[in-house]
Amino acid sequence: MSDDAAGKEANRQRLLKLASAAAFLAIVVVAVLIVVNETQTEGGDTEIEGAAAITGQLGGIPQRGLVLGDPNARVTLVEYGDLQCPVCKAYAEEIVPEMIESKVRSGEARIEFRNFVILGEDSATAGAAAIAAGRQGRGWQFVELFYRNQGFEGSGYVTDDFLTAIAEGAEVPDVARWNRERRSRGVVAELSRTTAEAEGLGLGGTPSFAIAGPGARGLQPIDVESAEDLKAAVERAAQPQPVGASTVDLLLALRPLSGAGVLDPLPDT
Amino acid sequence: MSAPAEGTLQRVATFLAAFGIGVAAYIVIAEADGGAPACLAGGSGCERVAASSHSELLGISVALIGIFGYALLLGAALLRGDGPRMAGFALALTGFGYSVYLTYLELFMIEAVCQWCLVSAVLMTLLFALNAVRMVAYVGRPS
Repeated sequence: MSDDAAGKEANRQRLLKLASAAAFLAIVVVAVLIVVNETQTEGGDTEIEGAAAITGQLGGIPQRGLVLGDPNARVTLVEYGDLQCPVCKAYAEEIVPEMIESKVRSGEARIEFRNFVILGEDSATAGAAAIAAGRQGRGWQFVELFYRNQGFEGSGYVTDDFLTAIAEGAEVPDVARWNRERRSRGVVAELSRTTAEAEGLGLGGTPSFAIAGPGARGLQPIDVESAEDLKAAVERAAQPQPVGASTVDLLLALRPLSGAGVLDPLPDT
Repeated sequence: MSAPAEGTLQRVATFLAAFGIGVAAYIVIAEADGGAPACLAGGSGCERVAASSHSELLGISVALIGIFGYALLLGAALLRGDGPRMAGFALALTGFGYSVYLTYLELFMIEAVCQWCLVSAVLMTLLFALNAVRMVAYVGRPS
């Protein structure tokens, strides 16, 4: 091999070593990008909107657990929802508020939110957080605020930071306790119970509604497409059933699903 | 087996990088004002990925960063010499590595696949292969 050829080969080897260093640098850059991406996903301030509006919407209405309204109301309306479900969000913003204002605030009906987890693990995490907020009397604020700040299902937005921001926006009194309880066995078991109950009722999706009252035989699923449908269902359920009404059915329908069942007395708030 | 002619590698890389700019530009335009690229076979995969927190890096759209990366790769494919050979290799390796990570996020974290992102990942993989062959076979040799 001539000196010239040997020199070129040595130069080539030097460049290949340089390329190896460049490859290493490229891998380091990718690692840094991944760390930056993971950090931005986990952390950061979460801005929550709508807290004041929800405070106004629910203010003055008694609640316990995820039950909103007068404990002595003749009619109980149950919403089976998934907090990640966009249609549930639409109902929460456009249909349910009118029902709360006209029928729940007046004491004609109470409304209970029961988790029907259909959109995966993040929905279960969110639902558990709502139940835990309910244990401190802020369940409905949590549910409503979550819907107003809902992200795209399964996109990873249901982070600890997001949930904490919702809890703080919902004015959960003891966030540390909420944080412990949302991971507790009892809360997880309640999620499973309500989801199994919804499946047992044959509900095909979220949101689904069911109603119980003197005019309904047990807990009856109802079709709801508007606030008028809800109000009409409440009025029908409030009328005593002429024949065949079963007290047992009614009691079964209203059995408590959590520590805060609909038949439990409400604390003075 | 001998490597393809460097000119051929450059021409194919030029085409792929230009195509990549087009794909990334479409994603940027579609995501403007909170939108999402249209998935060709329907479904909500593209919407879910676009809405994900992973679609931005430090507040900058990942697709916009992609345009910048493809433009640099295009430059490296068009130019001759050892500098572009090594730069093209390092850039393509970076793009390929991050594409693998993004595809992992789609499949296992977001649990949705955006076809446009997948096309970009395939382009980046091919560009990495082309640039690696070009660098190993031709670095230190006359253009």
